[in-house]
Amino acid sequence: MSQDDKIDIRQLNIWFGEKHVIRGVDLKIKANAVTAIMGPSGCGKSTMLRAFNRMNDVIKSSKTTGDIFIGGKNIYDNNTNVYDLRRQVGMVFQKPNPLPKSIYENVAFGPKIHKMAKGKDLDKIVEKSLRAAALWDEVNDRLNDSAFDLSGGQQQRLCIARALAVDPEVILMDEPCSALDPAATAKIEQLIRILSTDYTVVIVTHNMQQASRVSDYTVFLYLGKVIEKGGTKAIFENPQHELTEQYITGEFG
Amino acid sequence: MKRLIDSGMEQLASMLFRMGEIAQKTVSLSIVNYLEGTHTPTQVKQLSDTLSSMAEPIEDTAFEIIARFQPVASDLRILKSYMKICYDFRRYGRYALDISQIYERLSGMDECDTSFRKIIEEMGLETLEMVGTSIQALKNHDAAVAKTLSEMENRVDKLYYSYLDKLIETKTTTGCTISSLLVVRYLERIADHATYIGESIVYLATGEKMRLR
Repeated sequence: MSQDDKIDIRQLNIWFGEKHVIRGVDLKIKANAVTAIMGPSGCGKSTMLRAFNRMNDVIKSSKTTGDIFIGGKNIYDNNTNVYDLRRQVGMVFQKPNPLPKSIYENVAFGPKIHKMAKGKDLDKIVEKSLRAAALWDEVNDRLNDSAFDLSGGQQQRLCIARALAVDPEVILMDEPCSALDPAATAKIEQLIRILSTDYTVVIVTHNMQQASRVSDYTVFLYLGKVIEKGGTKAIFENPQHELTEQYITGEFG
Repeated sequence: MKRLIDSGMEQLASMLFRMGEIAQKTVSLSIVNYLEGTHTPTQVKQLSDTLSSMAEPIEDTAFEIIARFQPVASDLRILKSYMKICYDFRRYGRYALDISQIYERLSGMDECDTSFRKIIEEMGLETLEMVGTSIQALKNHDAAVAKTLSEMENRVDKLYYSYLDKLIETKTTTGCTISSLLVVRYLERIADHATYIGESIVYLATGEKMRLR
Protein backbone atom coordinates (compact mmCIF):
# COMPACT_ATOMS: atom_id res chain seq x y z
CA MET A 1 0.00 0.00 0.00
CA SER A 2 1.42 3.38 -0.94
CA GLN A 3 1.65 6.10 1.68
CA ASP A 4 -1.11 7.96 -0.09
CA ASP A 5 -3.56 5.08 0.24
CA LYS A 6 -5.75 5.08 3.33
CA ILE A 7 -7.91 2.07 2.54
CA ASP A 8 -6.67 -1.04 0.78
CA ILE A 9 -9.32 -3.56 -0.18
CA ARG A 10 -8.15 -6.99 -1.25
CA GLN A 11 -10.34 -9.64 -2.77
CA LEU A 12 -13.41 -8.49 -0.91
CA ASN A 13 -16.43 -10.76 -1.25
CA ILE A 14 -19.69 -10.23 0.59
CA TRP A 15 -22.74 -12.45 0.59
CA PHE A 16 -26.16 -11.95 2.10
CA GLY A 17 -27.42 -15.49 2.40
CA GLU A 18 -27.00 -16.99 -1.05
CA LYS A 19 -26.72 -13.62 -2.75
CA HIS A 20 -23.18 -12.75 -3.74
CA VAL A 21 -23.24 -8.95 -3.53
CA ILE A 22 -19.57 -7.91 -3.67
CA ARG A 23 -17.45 -10.01 -5.99
CA GLY A 24 -13.71 -10.05 -5.58
CA VAL A 25 -13.11 -6.33 -5.26
CA ASP A 26 -9.54 -5.02 -5.16
CA LEU A 27 -9.39 -1.30 -4.60
CA LYS A 28 -7.22 1.34 -3.00
CA ILE A 29 -8.70 4.55 -1.65
CA LYS A 30 -6.54 7.63 -1.35
CA ALA A 31 -6.01 9.45 1.93
CA ASN A 32 -7.24 13.02 2.32
CA ALA A 33 -9.32 12.92 -0.79
CA VAL A 34 -12.95 12.34 -1.69
CA THR A 35 -13.70 9.07 -3.43
CA ALA A 36 -17.15 8.60 -4.90
CA ILE A 37 -18.59 5.14 -5.42
CA MET A 38 -21.30 5.15 -8.04
CA GLY A 39 -23.33 2.54 -9.80
CA PRO A 40 -26.91 1.49 -10.44
CA SER A 41 -29.27 0.42 -7.66
CA GLY A 42 -28.34 -2.94 -6.22
CA CYS A 43 -24.76 -2.91 -7.49
CA GLY A 44 -23.36 -3.16 -3.96
CA LYS A 45 -22.26 0.43 -3.30
CA SER A 46 -23.74 0.73 0.17
CA THR A 47 -22.72 -2.81 1.06
CA MET A 48 -19.13 -2.04 0.15
CA LEU A 49 -19.22 1.21 2.09
CA ARG A 50 -20.62 -0.56 5.13
CA ALA A 51 -17.79 -3.06 4.95
CA PHE A 52 -15.33 -0.26 5.73
CA ASN A 53 -16.53 -0.06 9.32
CA ARG A 54 -17.97 -3.56 9.53
CA MET A 55 -21.55 -2.40 9.63
CA ASN A 56 -22.52 -5.47 7.63
CA ASP A 57 -21.57 -7.58 10.66
CA VAL A 58 -24.88 -6.69 12.28
CA ILE A 59 -26.75 -8.47 9.47
CA LYS A 60 -26.88 -12.10 10.48
CA SER A 61 -27.04 -13.54 6.98
CA SER A 62 -23.94 -11.63 5.85
CA LYS A 63 -20.63 -13.29 5.18
CA THR A 64 -17.46 -11.40 4.28
CA THR A 65 -14.16 -12.73 2.94
CA GLY A 66 -11.03 -10.88 1.91
CA ASP A 67 -9.19 -8.11 3.68
CA ILE A 68 -9.62 -4.40 4.21
CA PHE A 69 -6.64 -2.50 5.52
CA ILE A 70 -7.27 0.94 6.96
CA GLY A 71 -4.13 2.84 7.83
CA GLY A 72 -2.22 -0.41 7.39
CA LYS A 73 -4.34 -2.43 9.84
CA ASN A 74 -6.59 -5.25 8.71
CA ILE A 75 -10.03 -4.41 10.09
CA TYR A 76 -11.21 -7.98 9.58
CA ASP A 77 -8.59 -9.37 11.96
CA ASN A 78 -10.14 -11.28 14.82
CA ASN A 79 -8.62 -8.93 17.37
CA THR A 80 -10.12 -5.78 15.83
CA ASN A 81 -12.21 -3.81 18.28
CA VAL A 82 -15.26 -2.94 16.25
CA TYR A 83 -16.25 -0.04 18.50
CA ASP A 84 -12.83 1.55 18.07
CA LEU A 85 -13.08 0.89 14.35
CA ARG A 86 -16.38 2.76 14.14
CA ARG A 87 -14.85 5.68 15.98
CA GLN A 88 -11.99 5.66 13.50
CA VAL A 89 -14.34 5.26 10.54
CA GLY A 90 -17.41 7.45 10.97
CA MET A 91 -20.57 7.24 8.94
CA VAL A 92 -23.22 9.62 7.71
CA PHE A 93 -26.44 8.14 6.39
CA GLN A 94 -29.01 9.05 3.73
CA LYS A 95 -31.49 10.62 6.08
CA PRO A 96 -30.31 12.76 8.96
CA ASN A 97 -30.65 10.65 12.09
CA PRO A 98 -30.07 12.91 15.10
CA LEU A 99 -30.56 11.41 18.53
CA PRO A 100 -33.63 12.61 20.46
CA LYS A 101 -31.43 14.90 22.48
CA SER A 102 -30.18 18.47 22.39
CA ILE A 103 -27.83 19.76 19.72
CA TYR A 104 -25.00 19.74 22.26
CA GLU A 105 -25.73 16.21 23.46
CA ASN A 106 -25.82 14.88 19.92
CA VAL A 107 -22.26 15.99 19.32
CA ALA A 108 -21.06 15.14 22.83
CA PHE A 109 -22.54 11.65 22.68
CA GLY A 110 -19.61 9.91 20.97
CA PRO A 111 -16.81 11.54 23.00
CA LYS A 112 -18.70 10.69 26.20
CA ILE A 113 -19.16 7.04 25.24
CA HIS A 114 -15.51 6.74 24.26
CA LYS A 115 -14.54 8.61 27.44
CA MET A 116 -12.55 11.08 25.39
CA ALA A 117 -13.37 14.19 27.42
CA LYS A 118 -15.67 15.86 29.90
CA GLY A 119 -16.43 19.35 31.17
CA LYS A 120 -14.74 22.18 29.30
CA ASP A 121 -12.72 19.79 27.17
CA LEU A 122 -15.97 18.29 25.96
CA ASP A 123 -17.34 21.76 25.26
CA LYS A 124 -14.28 22.41 23.11
CA ILE A 125 -14.81 19.20 21.14
CA VAL A 126 -18.46 20.10 20.56
CA GLU A 127 -17.57 23.58 19.33
CA LYS A 128 -14.71 22.34 17.15
CA SER A 129 -16.91 19.66 15.60
CA LEU A 130 -19.80 22.04 14.96
CA ARG A 131 -17.40 24.52 13.40
CA ALA A 132 -15.86 21.82 11.21
CA ALA A 133 -19.37 20.86 10.10
CA ALA A 134 -20.10 24.52 9.26
CA LEU A 135 -22.96 24.59 11.77
CA TRP A 136 -21.55 26.50 14.73
CA ASP A 137 -22.59 29.96 13.56
CA GLU A 138 -26.16 28.79 13.13
CA VAL A 139 -26.59 26.99 16.48
CA ASN A 140 -24.12 28.40 19.02
CA ASP A 141 -26.85 30.37 20.80
CA ARG A 142 -29.21 27.39 21.10
CA LEU A 143 -27.07 24.38 21.86
CA ASN A 144 -29.61 23.09 24.33
CA ASP A 145 -32.48 23.10 21.85
CA SER A 146 -33.68 19.79 20.52
CA ALA A 147 -31.81 18.57 17.46
CA PHE A 148 -35.21 17.98 15.88
CA ASP A 149 -35.76 21.76 15.79
CA LEU A 150 -33.10 22.04 13.10
CA SER A 151 -33.84 21.95 9.37
CA GLY A 152 -33.06 18.80 7.40
CA GLY A 153 -29.81 20.26 6.07
CA GLN A 154 -28.78 21.41 9.54
CA GLN A 155 -29.61 17.99 10.99
CA GLN A 156 -27.39 16.36 8.39
CA ARG A 157 -24.52 18.72 9.27
CA LEU A 158 -25.18 17.91 12.93
CA CYS A 159 -24.74 14.23 12.07
CA ILE A 160 -21.47 15.09 10.36
CA ALA A 161 -20.41 17.04 13.48
CA ARG A 162 -21.33 14.00 15.57
CA ALA A 163 -19.13 11.82 13.37
CA LEU A 164 -16.25 14.32 13.59
CA ALA A 165 -16.48 14.62 17.37
CA VAL A 166 -14.84 11.24 17.95
CA ASP A 167 -11.84 12.25 15.84
CA PRO A 168 -12.22 9.81 12.95
CA GLU A 169 -9.73 9.26 10.14
CA VAL A 170 -12.26 8.18 7.54
CA ILE A 171 -15.78 9.46 6.95
CA LEU A 172 -18.22 7.31 5.02
CA MET A 173 -21.25 9.00 3.50
CA ASP A 174 -24.13 7.02 2.10
CA GLU A 175 -26.19 9.30 -0.15
CA PRO A 176 -25.82 12.14 2.34
CA CYS A 177 -27.86 14.63 0.31
CA SER A 178 -30.65 12.43 -1.00
CA ALA A 179 -33.15 13.86 1.48
CA LEU A 180 -32.03 17.48 1.18
CA ASP A 181 -33.08 20.44 -0.95
CA PRO A 182 -30.59 22.05 -3.41
CA ALA A 183 -29.41 24.75 -0.98
CA ALA A 184 -28.78 22.27 1.83
CA THR A 185 -27.14 19.93 -0.69
CA ALA A 186 -24.77 22.69 -1.80
CA LYS A 187 -23.70 23.31 1.81
CA ILE A 188 -23.02 19.63 2.44
CA GLU A 189 -21.07 19.39 -0.82
CA GLN A 190 -18.94 22.39 0.14
CA LEU A 191 -18.39 20.78 3.51
CA ILE A 192 -17.32 17.50 1.95
CA ARG A 193 -14.63 19.33 -0.03
CA ILE A 194 -13.38 21.10 3.09
CA LEU A 195 -13.38 17.90 5.14
CA SER A 196 -11.19 16.15 2.60
CA THR A 197 -8.20 18.25 3.66
CA ASP A 198 -8.21 16.51 7.05
CA TYR A 199 -10.12 13.29 6.45
CA THR A 200 -10.45 10.52 3.93
CA VAL A 201 -14.00 10.75 2.61
CA VAL A 202 -15.81 7.98 0.78
CA ILE A 203 -19.21 8.88 -0.58
CA VAL A 204 -21.83 6.70 -2.19
CA THR A 205 -24.12 8.60 -4.49
CA HIS A 206 -26.72 7.99 -7.15
CA ASN A 207 -26.27 11.55 -8.29
CA MET A 208 -23.51 11.54 -10.87
CA GLN A 209 -23.31 15.29 -11.02
CA GLN A 210 -22.73 15.26 -7.30
CA ALA A 211 -19.97 12.69 -7.71
CA SER A 212 -18.38 14.83 -10.39
CA ARG A 213 -18.64 17.96 -8.27
CA VAL A 214 -17.32 16.70 -4.97
CA SER A 215 -14.98 13.83 -5.63
CA ASP A 216 -11.32 13.56 -6.57
CA TYR A 217 -11.61 9.91 -7.51
CA THR A 218 -14.51 7.89 -8.80
CA VAL A 219 -15.20 4.16 -8.67
CA PHE A 220 -17.86 2.63 -10.90
CA LEU A 221 -19.36 -0.50 -9.40
CA TYR A 222 -21.60 -2.83 -11.38
CA LEU A 223 -23.03 -6.14 -10.23
CA GLY A 224 -20.63 -6.18 -7.29
CA LYS A 225 -17.49 -5.62 -9.35
CA VAL A 226 -15.31 -2.59 -9.86
CA ILE A 227 -15.65 -1.85 -13.56
CA GLU A 228 -13.57 1.30 -13.62
CA LYS A 229 -11.76 3.54 -11.18
CA GLY A 230 -9.70 6.66 -11.63
CA GLY A 231 -9.55 10.41 -11.38
CA THR A 232 -13.02 11.93 -11.51
CA LYS A 233 -12.14 14.20 -14.43
CA ALA A 234 -10.94 11.26 -16.51
CA ILE A 235 -13.94 9.09 -15.65
CA PHE A 236 -16.44 11.79 -16.53
CA GLU A 237 -14.64 13.08 -19.61
CA ASN A 238 -13.28 9.95 -21.15
CA PRO A 239 -14.32 6.71 -19.46
CA GLN A 240 -12.35 3.74 -20.70
CA HIS A 241 -14.99 1.08 -20.19
CA GLU A 242 -18.11 0.87 -22.32
CA LEU A 243 -20.28 0.11 -19.27
CA THR A 244 -19.07 3.23 -17.49
CA GLU A 245 -19.84 5.33 -20.56
CA GLN A 246 -23.31 3.81 -20.82
CA TYR A 247 -24.03 4.33 -17.13
CA ILE A 248 -22.87 7.91 -16.81
CA THR A 249 -24.53 9.02 -20.02
CA GLY A 250 -27.80 7.55 -18.80
CA GLU A 251 -28.11 4.69 -21.23
CA PHE A 252 -28.86 2.33 -18.35
CA GLY A 253 -29.18 2.39 -14.60
CA MET B 1 -34.97 4.06 -25.06
CA LYS B 2 -34.12 7.53 -26.28
CA ARG B 3 -32.58 9.75 -23.62
CA LEU B 4 -33.90 13.25 -22.96
CA ILE B 5 -30.56 14.71 -24.01
CA ASP B 6 -30.66 12.95 -27.38
CA SER B 7 -33.12 15.24 -29.12
CA GLY B 8 -31.02 18.28 -28.15
CA MET B 9 -27.85 16.59 -29.36
CA GLU B 10 -29.51 15.65 -32.65
CA GLN B 11 -30.74 19.19 -33.14
CA LEU B 12 -27.26 20.54 -32.43
CA ALA B 13 -25.63 18.11 -34.86
CA SER B 14 -28.12 19.03 -37.54
CA MET B 15 -27.42 22.76 -37.07
CA LEU B 16 -23.66 22.23 -37.15
CA PHE B 17 -23.74 19.92 -40.18
CA ARG B 18 -25.81 22.52 -42.02
CA MET B 19 -23.26 25.16 -41.04
CA GLY B 20 -20.53 22.86 -42.36
CA GLU B 21 -22.25 22.55 -45.71
CA ILE B 22 -22.53 26.32 -46.01
CA ALA B 23 -18.92 26.78 -44.89
CA GLN B 24 -17.76 24.34 -47.54
CA LYS B 25 -19.82 26.13 -50.19
CA THR B 26 -18.43 29.52 -49.13
CA VAL B 27 -14.79 28.43 -49.22
CA SER B 28 -15.31 26.56 -52.46
CA LEU B 29 -16.97 29.53 -54.18
CA SER B 30 -14.29 31.90 -53.01
CA ILE B 31 -11.35 29.72 -54.04
CA VAL B 32 -12.84 28.71 -57.38
CA ASN B 33 -13.60 32.35 -58.12
CA TYR B 34 -10.03 33.30 -57.44
CA LEU B 35 -8.56 30.43 -59.44
CA GLU B 36 -10.89 30.76 -62.41
CA GLY B 37 -11.16 34.52 -62.50
CA THR B 38 -14.89 34.58 -61.92
CA HIS B 39 -16.26 36.92 -59.30
CA THR B 40 -19.28 36.67 -57.00
CA PRO B 41 -18.42 38.90 -54.03
CA THR B 42 -22.00 39.48 -52.93
CA GLN B 43 -22.73 35.80 -52.76
CA VAL B 44 -19.57 35.08 -50.76
CA LYS B 45 -20.39 37.96 -48.41
CA GLN B 46 -23.92 36.67 -47.88
CA LEU B 47 -22.68 33.16 -47.18
CA SER B 48 -20.02 34.42 -44.79
CA ASP B 49 -22.65 36.50 -42.94
CA THR B 50 -24.92 33.47 -42.80
CA LEU B 51 -22.14 31.49 -41.14
CA SER B 52 -21.63 34.23 -38.56
CA SER B 53 -25.33 34.33 -37.77
CA MET B 54 -25.51 30.53 -37.43
CA ALA B 55 -22.84 30.42 -34.75
CA GLU B 56 -24.82 31.98 -31.93
CA PRO B 57 -27.84 29.64 -32.04
CA ILE B 58 -25.43 26.70 -32.07
CA GLU B 59 -23.60 28.02 -29.01
CA ASP B 60 -26.92 28.74 -27.29
CA THR B 61 -28.16 25.22 -27.97
CA ALA B 62 -24.93 23.74 -26.61
CA PHE B 63 -25.22 25.89 -23.48
CA GLU B 64 -28.82 24.88 -22.99
CA ILE B 65 -27.87 21.21 -23.19
CA ILE B 66 -25.11 21.72 -20.64
CA ALA B 67 -27.41 23.62 -18.28
CA ARG B 68 -30.33 21.24 -18.55
CA PHE B 69 -28.74 17.82 -18.90
CA GLN B 70 -25.26 18.09 -17.35
CA PRO B 71 -23.65 15.96 -20.08
CA VAL B 72 -20.63 13.78 -19.39
CA ALA B 73 -18.29 11.43 -21.26
CA SER B 74 -18.93 11.25 -25.02
CA ASP B 75 -21.84 13.73 -24.78
CA LEU B 76 -19.58 16.25 -23.09
CA ARG B 77 -16.76 15.69 -25.56
CA ILE B 78 -19.16 16.15 -28.46
CA LEU B 79 -20.46 19.42 -27.05
CA LYS B 80 -17.00 20.82 -26.46
CA SER B 81 -15.88 19.76 -29.92
CA TYR B 82 -18.99 21.08 -31.66
CA MET B 83 -18.52 24.48 -30.06
CA LYS B 84 -14.93 24.58 -31.25
CA ILE B 85 -15.86 23.39 -34.74
CA CYS B 86 -18.57 26.03 -34.92
CA TYR B 87 -15.83 28.63 -34.45
CA ASP B 88 -13.68 26.93 -37.11
CA PHE B 89 -16.57 27.11 -39.57
CA ARG B 90 -16.90 30.83 -38.88
CA ARG B 91 -13.22 31.20 -39.66
CA TYR B 92 -13.69 29.27 -42.91
CA GLY B 93 -16.30 31.86 -43.85
CA ARG B 94 -14.17 34.79 -42.78
CA TYR B 95 -11.11 33.68 -44.78
CA ALA B 96 -13.30 32.94 -47.78
CA LEU B 97 -14.59 36.48 -47.55
CA ASP B 98 -11.04 37.81 -47.25
CA ILE B 99 -10.05 35.96 -50.42
CA SER B 100 -13.07 37.38 -52.19
CA GLN B 101 -12.20 40.91 -51.06
CA ILE B 102 -8.60 40.52 -52.20
CA TYR B 103 -9.89 39.53 -55.61
CA GLU B 104 -12.14 42.56 -55.68
CA ARG B 105 -9.39 44.98 -54.68
CA LEU B 106 -6.28 43.53 -56.31
CA SER B 107 -7.77 41.26 -59.00
CA GLY B 108 -7.06 37.57 -59.45
CA MET B 109 -4.26 35.65 -61.02
CA ASP B 110 -4.43 37.29 -64.45
CA GLU B 111 -0.99 38.83 -64.11
CA CYS B 112 0.60 35.78 -62.52
CA ASP B 113 3.16 33.73 -64.37
CA THR B 114 2.69 30.01 -64.72
CA SER B 115 4.93 28.95 -61.86
CA PHE B 116 2.99 31.04 -59.33
CA ARG B 117 -0.34 29.96 -60.78
CA LYS B 118 0.63 26.33 -60.45
CA ILE B 119 1.41 26.63 -56.74
CA ILE B 120 -1.70 28.65 -55.96
CA GLU B 121 -3.97 26.29 -57.90
CA GLU B 122 -2.48 23.26 -56.23
CA MET B 123 -2.77 24.86 -52.82
CA GLY B 124 -6.35 25.98 -53.47
CA LEU B 125 -7.45 22.52 -54.54
CA GLU B 126 -5.67 20.83 -51.64
CA THR B 127 -7.28 23.25 -49.19
CA LEU B 128 -10.69 22.61 -50.69
CA GLU B 129 -10.06 18.89 -50.33
CA MET B 130 -9.21 19.44 -46.65
CA VAL B 131 -12.39 21.41 -46.05
CA GLY B 132 -14.42 18.60 -47.63
CA THR B 133 -12.58 15.99 -45.60
CA SER B 134 -13.12 17.88 -42.35
CA ILE B 135 -16.86 18.01 -42.99
CA GLN B 136 -17.06 14.37 -44.03
CA ALA B 137 -15.17 13.34 -40.89
CA LEU B 138 -17.50 15.44 -38.77
CA LYS B 139 -20.67 13.96 -40.20
CA ASN B 140 -19.46 10.43 -39.48
CA HIS B 141 -17.51 11.23 -36.30
CA ASP B 142 -14.73 9.41 -38.12
CA ALA B 143 -11.39 9.75 -36.34
CA ALA B 144 -9.52 7.79 -39.03
CA VAL B 145 -10.63 10.18 -41.77
CA ALA B 146 -9.92 13.14 -39.49
CA LYS B 147 -6.35 11.97 -39.00
CA THR B 148 -5.74 12.06 -42.77
CA LEU B 149 -5.94 15.85 -42.51
CA SER B 150 -2.50 15.89 -40.93
CA GLU B 151 -0.77 14.71 -44.10
CA MET B 152 -2.86 17.03 -46.25
CA GLU B 153 -1.96 19.97 -44.05
CA ASN B 154 1.73 19.13 -44.47
CA ARG B 155 1.28 19.34 -48.23
CA VAL B 156 -0.46 22.72 -47.96
CA ASP B 157 2.33 24.00 -45.72
CA LYS B 158 4.96 22.84 -48.18
CA LEU B 159 3.18 24.63 -51.00
CA TYR B 160 2.88 27.74 -48.86
CA TYR B 161 6.59 27.82 -48.14
CA SER B 162 7.47 26.99 -51.71
CA TYR B 163 5.38 30.01 -52.75
CA LEU B 164 7.26 32.23 -50.29
CA ASP B 165 10.60 30.89 -51.51
CA LYS B 166 9.62 31.55 -55.07
CA LEU B 167 8.54 35.06 -54.25
CA ILE B 168 11.90 35.84 -52.65
CA GLU B 169 13.72 34.19 -55.50
CA THR B 170 11.98 36.25 -58.20
CA LYS B 171 12.21 39.55 -56.29
CA THR B 172 9.17 40.88 -58.11
CA THR B 173 6.21 42.81 -56.78
CA THR B 174 3.17 42.78 -59.01
CA GLY B 175 -0.58 42.80 -58.48
CA CYS B 176 -0.39 39.05 -58.72
CA THR B 177 2.30 38.57 -56.10
CA ILE B 178 0.65 40.90 -53.59
CA SER B 179 -2.83 39.46 -54.01
CA SER B 180 -1.70 35.86 -54.14
CA LEU B 181 0.61 36.28 -51.15
CA LEU B 182 -2.41 37.21 -49.09
CA VAL B 183 -4.50 34.46 -50.65
CA VAL B 184 -1.97 31.71 -49.93
CA ARG B 185 -1.81 32.93 -46.37
CA TYR B 186 -5.60 32.65 -46.09
CA LEU B 187 -5.50 29.22 -47.68
CA GLU B 188 -2.87 28.15 -45.19
CA ARG B 189 -5.08 29.38 -42.33
CA ILE B 190 -8.14 27.58 -43.73
CA ALA B 191 -6.03 24.42 -43.83
CA ASP B 192 -5.05 25.02 -40.20
CA HIS B 193 -8.70 25.26 -39.21
CA ALA B 194 -9.42 22.03 -41.09
CA THR B 195 -6.83 20.31 -38.90
CA TYR B 196 -8.30 21.91 -35.78
CA ILE B 197 -11.61 20.37 -36.80
CA GLY B 198 -9.80 17.06 -37.32
CA GLU B 199 -8.37 17.30 -33.81
CA SER B 200 -11.82 17.99 -32.39
CA ILE B 201 -13.22 14.97 -34.20
CA VAL B 202 -10.47 12.68 -32.93
CA TYR B 203 -11.19 13.97 -29.43
CA LEU B 204 -14.95 13.58 -29.58
CA ALA B 205 -14.69 10.10 -31.07
CA THR B 206 -11.88 8.70 -28.93
CA GLY B 207 -11.15 11.08 -26.06
CA GLU B 208 -7.60 11.40 -27.35
CA LYS B 209 -6.12 14.89 -27.50
CA MET B 210 -3.99 14.71 -30.61
CA ARG B 211 -2.15 17.39 -32.51
CA LEU B 212 -2.56 17.00 -36.24
CA ARG B 213 -0.38 19.98 -37.14
